[in-house]
Amino acid sequence: MGALGGRVAVITGADQPLGRGLALALGDAGAGVALVGDAGALAPLTAELESRNRRAVAVEARVGEREARERAFATAADELGGPVRIVVHAAVPAVAFERVAFEDVDDARWDAVWEGTMTAALAVLQASFTHLRGSGGRVVFVTPTVSMSGAPGLVAYAAAMEGQRLLAKSAARQWGPDGITVNCLAPAPEHVPIGVASSEVSLAPPALGGPGDAETDLGPVVVFLASDDAHFLTGETLCADGGVWMAP
Amino acid sequence: MTADAPLAGRTAIVTGAGQGVGRGIAAALARRGARVVLAARRAETGEPAAQEIRDRGGDARCIVTDITRREDVERCVASTVEHYGGLEIMVHNAFQGGRLHRLEDVDAALWATNSRTAVWGSYYSARFAAPHLRRAGTRGRLLLITSPAGVEGSVNIPVYAPVKAAQRAIAKSLAREWGPHGITVNCVAPVAETPALAGAFAANPVLKERVEARTALGRVGDAERDVGAVAAFLASDDASYVTGQTIVCDGGSFLGL
Repeated sequence: MGALGGRVAVITGADQPLGRGLALALGDAGAGVALVGDAGALAPLTAELESRNRRAVAVEARVGEREARERAFATAADELGGPVRIVVHAAVPAVAFERVAFEDVDDARWDAVWEGTMTAALAVLQASFTHLRGSGGRVVFVTPTVSMSGAPGLVAYAAAMEGQRLLAKSAARQWGPDGITVNCLAPAPEHVPIGVASSEVSLAPPALGGPGDAETDLGPVVVFLASDDAHFLTGETLCADGGVWMAP
Repeated sequence: MTADAPLAGRTAIVTGAGQGVGRGIAAALARRGARVVLAARRAETGEPAAQEIRDRGGDARCIVTDITRREDVERCVASTVEHYGGLEIMVHNAFQGGRLHRLEDVDAALWATNSRTAVWGSYYSARFAAPHLRRAGTRGRLLLITSPAGVEGSVNIPVYAPVKAAQRAIAKSLAREWGPHGITVNCVAPVAETPALAGAFAANPVLKERVEARTALGRVGDAERDVGAVAAFLASDDASYVTGQTIVCDGGSFLGL
Protein backbone atom coordinates (compact mmCIF):
# COMPACT_ATOMS: atom_id res chain seq x y z
CA MET A 1 0.00 0.00 0.00
CA GLY A 2 1.47 3.33 -1.10
CA ALA A 3 1.26 6.79 0.43
CA LEU A 4 -2.25 7.25 -0.95
CA GLY A 5 -3.54 3.74 -0.23
CA GLY A 6 -7.32 3.49 -0.10
CA ARG A 7 -7.96 7.09 -1.13
CA VAL A 8 -10.01 8.24 -4.06
CA ALA A 9 -8.42 10.83 -6.30
CA VAL A 10 -10.14 12.81 -9.04
CA ILE A 11 -7.92 14.13 -11.81
CA THR A 12 -8.84 16.36 -14.76
CA GLY A 13 -6.78 16.83 -17.90
CA ALA A 14 -5.40 13.28 -17.90
CA ASP A 15 -5.97 13.04 -21.65
CA GLN A 16 -2.83 15.21 -22.00
CA PRO A 17 0.68 13.77 -21.38
CA LEU A 18 1.21 15.84 -18.22
CA GLY A 19 -2.07 14.83 -16.57
CA ARG A 20 -1.53 11.26 -17.75
CA GLY A 21 1.81 11.05 -15.95
CA LEU A 22 0.35 12.48 -12.77
CA ALA A 23 -2.61 10.07 -12.91
CA LEU A 24 -0.27 7.08 -13.27
CA ALA A 25 1.76 8.26 -10.28
CA LEU A 26 -1.38 8.70 -8.15
CA GLY A 27 -2.49 5.21 -9.12
CA ASP A 28 0.90 3.68 -8.37
CA ALA A 29 0.83 5.38 -4.94
CA GLY A 30 -2.32 3.41 -4.16
CA ALA A 31 -5.10 5.85 -4.93
CA GLY A 32 -8.20 4.84 -6.82
CA VAL A 33 -8.14 7.24 -9.74
CA ALA A 34 -11.15 8.84 -11.37
CA LEU A 35 -10.21 10.39 -14.69
CA VAL A 36 -12.69 13.17 -15.32
CA GLY A 37 -13.11 14.44 -18.89
CA ASP A 38 -13.77 12.92 -22.29
CA ALA A 39 -14.21 9.25 -21.39
CA GLY A 40 -13.35 8.13 -24.92
CA ALA A 41 -10.03 9.94 -24.93
CA LEU A 42 -9.29 8.59 -21.44
CA ALA A 43 -9.97 4.93 -22.26
CA PRO A 44 -6.30 4.01 -23.05
CA LEU A 45 -5.16 5.46 -19.72
CA THR A 46 -7.86 3.61 -17.80
CA ALA A 47 -6.64 0.44 -19.50
CA GLU A 48 -3.02 1.26 -18.63
CA LEU A 49 -3.89 1.79 -14.96
CA GLU A 50 -5.91 -1.44 -14.87
CA SER A 51 -3.03 -3.34 -16.47
CA ARG A 52 -0.95 -2.18 -13.50
CA ASN A 53 -3.66 -3.54 -11.19
CA ARG A 54 -4.74 -0.03 -10.19
CA ARG A 55 -8.32 1.00 -9.55
CA ALA A 56 -9.38 3.46 -12.22
CA VAL A 57 -12.51 4.80 -13.81
CA ALA A 58 -13.14 7.36 -16.53
CA VAL A 59 -15.98 9.76 -15.75
CA GLU A 60 -17.55 11.75 -18.55
CA ALA A 61 -17.81 15.47 -17.77
CA ARG A 62 -16.96 18.16 -20.26
CA VAL A 63 -18.88 21.01 -18.75
CA GLY A 64 -17.25 23.66 -16.57
CA GLU A 65 -20.32 23.82 -14.36
CA ARG A 66 -20.50 23.21 -10.69
CA GLU A 67 -23.38 20.71 -10.88
CA ALA A 68 -21.68 18.68 -13.60
CA ARG A 69 -18.47 18.56 -11.57
CA GLU A 70 -20.29 17.58 -8.42
CA ARG A 71 -22.05 14.78 -10.25
CA ALA A 72 -18.73 13.62 -11.67
CA PHE A 73 -17.21 13.59 -8.19
CA ALA A 74 -20.18 11.62 -6.83
CA THR A 75 -19.82 9.08 -9.63
CA ALA A 76 -16.11 8.77 -8.85
CA ALA A 77 -16.86 8.09 -5.19
CA ASP A 78 -19.51 5.47 -6.06
CA GLU A 79 -17.40 3.66 -8.63
CA LEU A 80 -14.24 3.61 -6.56
CA GLY A 81 -15.88 2.88 -3.24
CA GLY A 82 -15.00 5.81 -1.03
CA PRO A 83 -15.30 9.55 -0.64
CA VAL A 84 -13.14 11.74 -2.87
CA ARG A 85 -10.14 12.93 -0.84
CA ILE A 86 -7.80 14.23 -3.55
CA VAL A 87 -8.50 16.51 -6.49
CA VAL A 88 -5.83 17.26 -9.10
CA HIS A 89 -6.95 19.80 -11.69
CA ALA A 90 -4.81 19.88 -14.82
CA ALA A 91 -7.45 20.39 -17.51
CA VAL A 92 -7.33 23.47 -19.71
CA PRO A 93 -9.52 24.20 -22.76
CA ALA A 94 -7.47 23.07 -25.78
CA VAL A 95 -7.72 26.52 -27.39
CA ALA A 96 -5.69 27.93 -24.47
CA PHE A 97 -2.54 26.26 -25.80
CA GLU A 98 -2.66 28.12 -29.11
CA ARG A 99 -0.01 30.80 -29.44
CA VAL A 100 -1.45 33.96 -30.98
CA ALA A 101 -0.08 37.52 -31.18
CA PHE A 102 -2.06 39.74 -28.80
CA GLU A 103 -3.27 41.99 -31.61
CA ASP A 104 -4.89 38.96 -33.25
CA VAL A 105 -6.72 37.81 -30.12
CA ASP A 106 -10.46 38.46 -30.44
CA ASP A 107 -13.18 38.44 -27.80
CA ALA A 108 -14.20 34.86 -28.58
CA ARG A 109 -10.66 33.63 -27.97
CA TRP A 110 -10.23 35.69 -24.81
CA ASP A 111 -13.52 34.32 -23.53
CA ALA A 112 -12.66 30.70 -24.37
CA VAL A 113 -9.22 30.86 -22.74
CA TRP A 114 -9.69 33.18 -19.77
CA GLU A 115 -13.32 32.58 -18.85
CA GLY A 116 -13.21 28.94 -19.94
CA THR A 117 -10.24 28.14 -17.72
CA MET A 118 -11.39 30.15 -14.72
CA THR A 119 -15.00 28.99 -14.81
CA ALA A 120 -13.83 25.37 -14.87
CA ALA A 121 -11.33 25.98 -12.06
CA LEU A 122 -13.99 27.61 -9.91
CA ALA A 123 -16.41 24.74 -10.63
CA VAL A 124 -13.74 22.19 -9.66
CA LEU A 125 -12.99 24.08 -6.44
CA GLN A 126 -16.65 24.38 -5.48
CA ALA A 127 -17.27 20.69 -6.16
CA SER A 128 -14.13 19.91 -4.14
CA PHE A 129 -15.48 21.90 -1.21
CA THR A 130 -18.70 19.88 -1.21
CA HIS A 131 -16.85 16.55 -1.24
CA LEU A 132 -13.63 17.24 0.70
CA ARG A 133 -14.89 19.40 3.52
CA GLY A 134 -13.80 18.16 6.94
CA SER A 135 -11.95 15.16 5.52
CA GLY A 136 -8.38 16.39 5.31
CA GLY A 137 -8.91 16.86 1.61
CA ARG A 138 -6.22 17.90 -0.84
CA VAL A 139 -6.61 20.02 -3.94
CA VAL A 140 -3.72 20.50 -6.35
CA PHE A 141 -3.88 22.86 -9.32
CA VAL A 142 -1.38 22.37 -12.11
CA THR A 143 -0.08 25.78 -13.18
CA PRO A 144 3.00 25.79 -15.45
CA THR A 145 5.67 28.38 -14.58
CA VAL A 146 4.50 30.49 -17.54
CA SER A 147 2.01 31.91 -15.05
CA MET A 148 4.96 33.59 -13.32
CA SER A 149 7.31 34.19 -16.25
CA GLY A 150 4.76 35.35 -18.80
CA ALA A 151 5.29 34.48 -22.46
CA PRO A 152 4.72 36.35 -25.70
CA GLY A 153 1.75 35.11 -27.70
CA LEU A 154 0.20 33.57 -24.60
CA VAL A 155 -1.29 36.56 -22.80
CA ALA A 156 -4.67 34.93 -22.09
CA TYR A 157 -3.15 31.57 -21.14
CA ALA A 158 -0.65 33.14 -18.73
CA ALA A 159 -3.43 35.26 -17.22
CA ALA A 160 -5.58 32.17 -16.72
CA MET A 161 -2.75 30.15 -15.15
CA GLU A 162 -1.85 32.98 -12.76
CA GLY A 163 -5.56 33.47 -12.07
CA GLN A 164 -5.81 29.79 -11.11
CA ARG A 165 -2.71 30.05 -8.95
CA LEU A 166 -4.21 32.90 -6.93
CA LEU A 167 -7.64 31.28 -6.83
CA ALA A 168 -5.83 28.41 -5.12
CA LYS A 169 -4.24 30.78 -2.60
CA SER A 170 -7.58 32.40 -1.76
CA ALA A 171 -9.19 28.97 -1.38
CA ALA A 172 -6.31 27.87 0.84
CA ARG A 173 -6.80 30.90 3.09
CA GLN A 174 -10.55 30.51 3.32
CA TRP A 175 -10.84 26.73 3.56
CA GLY A 176 -8.00 26.01 6.00
CA PRO A 177 -10.52 25.78 8.86
CA ASP A 178 -12.56 23.34 6.76
CA GLY A 179 -9.63 20.94 6.64
CA ILE A 180 -8.88 21.43 2.96
CA THR A 181 -5.43 22.30 1.65
CA VAL A 182 -5.01 23.83 -1.80
CA ASN A 183 -1.62 23.97 -3.51
CA CYS A 184 -0.16 24.39 -6.97
CA LEU A 185 2.29 22.25 -8.87
CA ALA A 186 4.25 24.34 -11.38
CA PRO A 187 5.98 22.30 -14.08
CA ALA A 188 8.26 23.65 -16.80
CA PRO A 189 6.48 25.04 -19.87
CA GLU A 190 7.73 22.10 -21.96
CA HIS A 191 5.07 19.93 -20.30
CA VAL A 192 2.22 21.73 -22.07
CA PRO A 193 1.81 22.10 -25.84
CA ILE A 194 2.29 25.88 -25.96
CA GLY A 195 5.58 25.91 -27.85
CA VAL A 196 7.58 27.61 -25.11
CA ALA A 197 10.98 26.36 -24.02
CA SER A 198 12.26 27.37 -20.58
CA SER A 199 15.20 29.03 -22.33
CA GLU A 200 12.77 31.49 -23.96
CA VAL A 201 11.72 32.96 -20.62
CA SER A 202 14.74 32.29 -18.41
CA LEU A 203 18.46 32.85 -18.87
CA ALA A 204 19.40 30.10 -16.47
CA PRO A 205 19.51 26.54 -17.75
CA PRO A 206 17.60 23.93 -15.73
CA ALA A 207 19.81 22.96 -12.79
CA LEU A 208 18.69 19.34 -13.08
CA GLY A 209 19.23 19.14 -16.82
CA GLY A 210 15.75 19.41 -18.32
CA PRO A 211 12.00 19.64 -17.75
CA GLY A 212 11.81 16.07 -16.45
CA ASP A 213 9.29 13.32 -17.00
CA ALA A 214 5.64 13.82 -16.07
CA GLU A 215 5.24 10.44 -14.39
CA THR A 216 8.63 9.80 -12.81
CA ASP A 217 9.76 13.35 -11.96
CA LEU A 218 6.53 15.34 -11.41
CA GLY A 219 4.49 12.34 -10.27
CA PRO A 220 6.23 11.95 -6.90
CA VAL A 221 5.69 15.66 -6.20
CA VAL A 222 1.95 15.47 -6.79
CA VAL A 223 1.80 12.31 -4.67
CA PHE A 224 3.56 14.18 -1.86
CA LEU A 225 1.16 17.14 -2.15
CA ALA A 226 -1.76 14.70 -1.99
CA SER A 227 -0.36 12.78 0.98
CA ASP A 228 -0.68 13.16 4.76
CA ASP A 229 2.93 14.37 4.86
CA ALA A 230 1.88 17.60 3.13
CA HIS A 231 -0.80 18.38 5.73
CA PHE A 232 0.87 21.64 6.84
CA LEU A 233 1.39 23.05 3.36
CA THR A 234 -1.32 25.19 1.85
CA GLY A 235 -1.46 28.02 -0.67
CA GLU A 236 2.00 27.00 -1.85
CA THR A 237 3.33 26.75 -5.37
CA LEU A 238 5.88 23.98 -5.82
CA CYS A 239 8.02 24.66 -8.88
CA ALA A 240 8.97 21.18 -9.99
CA ASP A 241 10.67 22.42 -13.14
CA GLY A 242 14.14 20.99 -12.74
CA GLY A 243 15.47 24.14 -11.10
CA VAL A 244 14.76 26.95 -13.57
CA TRP A 245 12.35 29.38 -12.04
CA MET A 246 13.23 28.91 -8.33
CA ALA A 247 10.30 31.03 -7.08
CA PRO A 248 9.76 32.59 -4.67
CA MET B 1 10.28 68.02 -21.63
CA THR B 2 11.40 69.79 -18.47
CA ALA B 3 12.27 68.55 -15.01
CA ASP B 4 8.96 69.92 -13.77
CA ALA B 5 6.96 68.44 -16.61
CA PRO B 6 8.49 65.09 -17.50
CA LEU B 7 5.27 64.02 -19.23
CA ALA B 8 4.74 67.20 -21.27
CA GLY B 9 3.54 66.50 -24.78
CA ARG B 10 2.14 63.09 -23.84
CA THR B 11 -1.45 61.99 -23.65
CA ALA B 12 -2.76 59.58 -21.04
CA ILE B 13 -6.03 57.77 -20.48
CA VAL B 14 -6.83 56.71 -16.91
CA THR B 15 -9.81 54.38 -16.40
CA GLY B 16 -11.81 54.56 -13.19
CA ALA B 17 -10.54 58.14 -12.83
CA GLY B 18 -13.68 59.52 -11.21
CA GLN B 19 -12.53 58.61 -7.73
CA GLY B 20 -9.91 56.95 -5.60
CA VAL B 21 -6.64 55.69 -7.01
CA GLY B 22 -7.61 56.50 -10.60
CA ARG B 23 -8.40 60.09 -9.73
CA GLY B 24 -5.07 60.38 -7.91
CA ILE B 25 -3.13 58.95 -10.83
CA ALA B 26 -4.89 61.25 -13.30
CA ALA B 27 -4.03 64.26 -11.14
CA ALA B 28 -0.39 63.17 -10.74
CA LEU B 29 0.08 62.64 -14.49
CA ALA B 30 -1.52 66.02 -15.25
CA ARG B 31 0.64 67.78 -12.68
CA ARG B 32 3.70 66.45 -14.54
CA GLY B 33 2.50 67.86 -17.83
CA ALA B 34 0.48 65.07 -19.41
CA ARG B 35 -2.83 65.72 -21.14
CA VAL B 36 -5.21 63.42 -19.35
CA VAL B 37 -8.45 61.78 -20.37
CA LEU B 38 -10.42 60.62 -17.35
CA ALA B 39 -12.39 57.57 -18.42
CA ALA B 40 -15.10 57.34 -15.80
CA ARG B 41 -18.28 55.29 -15.72
CA ARG B 42 -20.24 58.22 -14.37
CA ALA B 43 -20.00 61.84 -15.47
CA GLU B 44 -21.01 62.87 -11.93
CA THR B 45 -17.59 61.80 -10.67
CA GLY B 46 -15.50 62.08 -13.84
CA GLU B 47 -16.42 65.67 -14.73
CA PRO B 48 -15.56 67.20 -11.32
CA ALA B 49 -12.27 65.27 -11.27
CA ALA B 50 -11.39 66.66 -14.72
CA GLN B 51 -12.49 70.15 -13.65
CA GLU B 52 -10.23 69.98 -10.60
CA ILE B 53 -7.25 69.27 -12.85
CA ARG B 54 -8.17 72.13 -15.19
CA ASP B 55 -8.57 74.45 -12.20
CA ARG B 56 -4.97 73.69 -11.34
CA GLY B 57 -3.89 74.62 -14.84
CA GLY B 58 -3.81 71.12 -16.28
CA ASP B 59 -5.26 69.77 -19.50
CA ALA B 60 -7.97 67.21 -18.80
CA ARG B 61 -11.28 65.99 -20.11
CA CYS B 62 -13.72 63.36 -19.01
CA ILE B 63 -15.02 60.71 -21.40
CA VAL B 64 -17.80 58.61 -19.91
CA THR B 65 -16.65 55.02 -20.40
CA ASP B 66 -17.85 51.67 -19.12
CA ILE B 67 -14.64 49.68 -19.21
CA THR B 68 -16.55 46.39 -19.48
CA ARG B 69 -18.04 47.47 -22.82
CA ARG B 70 -15.80 46.92 -25.80
CA GLU B 71 -17.39 49.70 -27.85
CA ASP B 72 -17.01 52.18 -24.98
CA VAL B 73 -13.28 51.57 -24.69
CA GLU B 74 -12.83 51.68 -28.45
CA ARG B 75 -14.70 54.99 -28.62
CA CYS B 76 -12.77 56.46 -25.66
CA VAL B 77 -9.43 55.70 -27.28
CA ALA B 78 -10.55 56.93 -30.71
CA SER B 79 -11.93 60.16 -29.28
CA THR B 80 -8.74 60.75 -27.27
CA VAL B 81 -6.52 60.28 -30.29
CA GLU B 82 -8.77 62.47 -32.42
CA HIS B 83 -8.68 65.26 -29.85
CA TYR B 84 -5.04 65.10 -28.77
CA GLY B 85 -3.37 63.51 -31.78
CA GLY B 86 -2.02 60.40 -30.10
CA LEU B 87 -1.92 58.22 -26.99
CA GLU B 88 1.29 57.44 -25.12
CA ILE B 89 0.08 56.28 -21.70
CA MET B 90 -2.80 53.89 -21.01
CA VAL B 91 -3.65 53.28 -17.36
CA HIS B 92 -6.29 50.69 -16.49
CA ASN B 93 -7.40 51.15 -12.93
CA ALA B 94 -11.19 50.72 -12.95
CA PHE B 95 -12.49 47.93 -10.77
CA GLN B 96 -15.75 46.82 -9.24
CA GLY B 97 -16.59 43.84 -7.11
CA GLY B 98 -14.78 43.90 -3.78
CA ARG B 99 -17.60 42.72 -1.52
CA LEU B 100 -17.07 40.03 1.12
CA HIS B 101 -17.91 36.51 0.02
CA ARG B 102 -17.30 32.80 0.51
CA LEU B 103 -15.69 30.99 -2.39
CA GLU B 104 -18.19 28.12 -2.22
CA ASP B 105 -21.02 30.65 -2.74
CA VAL B 106 -19.52 32.54 -5.68
CA ASP B 107 -22.03 32.68 -8.51
CA ALA B 108 -21.71 33.71 -12.13
CA ALA B 109 -22.75 37.32 -11.42
CA LEU B 110 -20.16 37.95 -8.70
CA TRP B 111 -17.45 36.35 -10.78
CA ALA B 112 -18.46 38.38 -13.85
CA THR B 113 -18.25 41.72 -12.04
CA ASN B 114 -14.69 40.99 -10.92
CA SER B 115 -13.59 39.42 -14.17
CA ARG B 116 -15.19 42.00 -16.49
CA THR B 117 -13.76 45.07 -14.79
CA ALA B 118 -10.27 43.82 -13.93
CA VAL B 119 -9.44 41.35 -16.68
CA TRP B 120 -11.65 42.18 -19.64
CA GLY B 121 -10.98 45.85 -18.86
CA SER B 122 -7.24 45.15 -19.12
CA TYR B 123 -7.74 43.25 -22.35
CA TYR B 124 -9.82 46.04 -23.95
CA SER B 125 -7.47 48.75 -22.70
CA ALA B 126 -4.44 46.97 -24.10
CA ARG B 127 -6.17 46.04 -27.31
CA PHE B 128 -7.41 49.48 -28.30
CA ALA B 129 -4.35 51.33 -27.03
CA ALA B 130 -1.98 48.95 -28.83
CA PRO B 131 -1.68 50.65 -32.25
CA HIS B 132 -1.16 54.05 -30.63
CA LEU B 133 1.37 52.79 -28.09
CA ARG B 134 3.23 51.20 -30.95
CA ARG B 135 3.32 54.56 -32.71
CA ALA B 136 4.58 56.14 -29.48
CA GLY B 137 7.45 53.62 -29.46
CA THR B 138 9.77 54.08 -26.49
CA ARG B 139 7.29 56.52 -24.95
CA GLY B 140 4.50 53.93 -25.04
CA ARG B 141 3.25 52.80 -21.64
CA LEU B 142 0.62 50.41 -20.41
CA LEU B 143 0.00 50.46 -16.66
CA LEU B 144 -2.35 48.03 -14.95
CA ILE B 145 -3.40 48.78 -11.39
CA THR B 146 -3.44 45.55 -9.43
CA SER B 147 -3.30 44.75 -5.72
CA PRO B 148 -1.11 43.02 -3.16
CA ALA B 149 -4.03 40.55 -2.95
CA GLY B 150 -3.09 39.47 -6.47
CA VAL B 151 0.07 38.00 -5.00
CA GLU B 152 -1.05 36.98 -1.51
CA GLY B 153 -4.56 35.69 -2.13
CA SER B 154 -7.48 36.95 -0.08
CA VAL B 155 -9.40 35.34 2.75
CA ASN B 156 -12.26 37.84 2.69
CA ILE B 157 -12.71 38.54 -1.01
CA PRO B 158 -11.26 35.39 -2.60
CA VAL B 159 -12.07 36.03 -6.26
CA TYR B 160 -10.46 39.47 -6.08
CA ALA B 161 -7.07 37.72 -5.94
CA PRO B 162 -7.22 35.76 -9.23
CA VAL B 163 -8.47 38.70 -11.28
CA LYS B 164 -5.75 40.96 -9.88
CA ALA B 165 -3.16 38.20 -10.41
CA ALA B 166 -4.28 37.81 -14.00
CA GLN B 167 -3.43 41.47 -14.58
CA ARG B 168 0.15 40.82 -13.46
CA ALA B 169 0.44 37.92 -15.86
CA ILE B 170 -1.02 40.04 -18.67
CA ALA B 171 1.59 42.72 -17.92
CA LYS B 172 4.46 40.22 -17.97
CA SER B 173 3.38 38.57 -21.20
CA LEU B 174 2.67 41.87 -22.96
CA ALA B 175 5.98 43.27 -21.70
CA ARG B 176 7.71 40.42 -23.52
CA GLU B 177 5.51 40.74 -26.58
CA TRP B 178 5.75 44.52 -26.94
CA GLY B 179 9.35 44.93 -25.78
CA PRO B 180 10.65 44.98 -29.37
CA HIS B 181 8.59 48.17 -29.95
CA GLY B 182 10.06 49.88 -26.89
CA ILE B 183 6.69 49.86 -25.09
CA THR B 184 6.81 49.06 -21.38
CA VAL B 185 4.04 47.31 -19.45
CA ASN B 186 3.98 47.41 -15.66
CA CYS B 187 1.70 47.10 -12.65
CA VAL B 188 1.25 49.16 -9.52
CA ALA B 189 -0.21 47.41 -6.48
CA PRO B 190 -1.36 50.21 -4.19
CA VAL B 191 -3.07 50.63 -0.87
CA ALA B 192 -4.52 54.13 -0.68
CA GLU B 193 -7.30 56.13 0.86
CA THR B 194 -10.21 55.61 -1.50
CA PRO B 195 -13.99 55.38 -1.21
CA ALA B 196 -13.59 51.60 -1.71
CA LEU B 197 -11.14 51.28 1.17
CA ALA B 198 -13.24 53.59 3.35
CA GLY B 199 -16.17 51.28 2.68
CA ALA B 200 -14.11 48.23 3.62
CA PHE B 201 -12.96 49.93 6.83
CA ALA B 202 -16.55 50.92 7.67
CA ALA B 203 -17.74 47.34 7.12
CA ASN B 204 -14.86 45.91 9.12
CA PRO B 205 -13.50 48.40 11.70
CA VAL B 206 -10.77 46.00 12.86
CA LEU B 207 -9.37 46.02 9.32
CA LYS B 208 -8.16 49.63 9.52
CA GLU B 209 -6.22 48.90 12.70
CA ARG B 210 -4.75 45.75 11.21
CA VAL B 211 -3.74 47.49 7.98
CA GLU B 212 -2.05 50.35 9.80
CA ALA B 213 -0.32 48.02 12.26
CA ARG B 214 1.05 45.90 9.43
CA THR B 215 2.23 48.89 7.38
CA ALA B 216 5.88 49.84 7.94
CA LEU B 217 5.18 53.52 7.28
CA GLY B 218 2.20 53.42 9.61
CA ARG B 219 -0.36 55.10 7.37
CA VAL B 220 -2.59 54.43 4.41
CA GLY B 221 -1.31 56.07 1.22
CA ASP B 222 -2.57 59.13 -0.59
CA ALA B 223 -3.93 58.37 -4.05
CA GLU B 224 -2.16 61.29 -5.76
CA ARG B 225 0.99 61.99 -3.75
CA ASP B 226 1.93 58.40 -2.94
CA VAL B 227 0.44 56.20 -5.65
CA GLY B 228 0.13 58.75 -8.46
CA ALA B 229 3.80 59.59 -8.10
CA VAL B 230 4.81 55.96 -8.67
CA ALA B 231 2.52 55.66 -11.69
CA ALA B 232 4.00 58.90 -13.07
CA PHE B 233 7.51 57.53 -12.64
CA LEU B 234 6.59 54.38 -14.57
CA ALA B 235 5.04 56.58 -17.28
CA SER B 236 8.17 58.71 -17.59
CA ASP B 237 11.39 58.28 -19.56
CA ASP B 238 13.19 57.50 -16.31
CA ALA B 239 11.43 54.13 -16.25
CA SER B 240 12.19 53.23 -19.89
CA TYR B 241 14.13 50.14 -18.82
CA VAL B 242 11.55 48.85 -16.33
CA THR B 243 9.03 46.42 -17.80
CA GLY B 244 6.94 43.44 -16.74
CA GLN B 245 7.21 44.53 -13.11
CA THR B 246 4.85 45.14 -10.23
CA ILE B 247 5.68 47.97 -7.85
CA VAL B 248 3.89 47.41 -4.58
CA CYS B 249 3.04 50.88 -3.26
CA ASP B 250 1.49 50.16 0.12
CA GLY B 251 3.76 51.80 2.66
CA GLY B 252 5.62 48.58 3.35
CA SER B 253 2.81 46.22 4.25
CA PHE B 254 3.15 43.32 1.83
CA LEU B 255 6.84 42.46 1.48
CA GLY B 256 6.47 39.16 -0.31
CA LEU B 257 7.68 39.97 -3.82
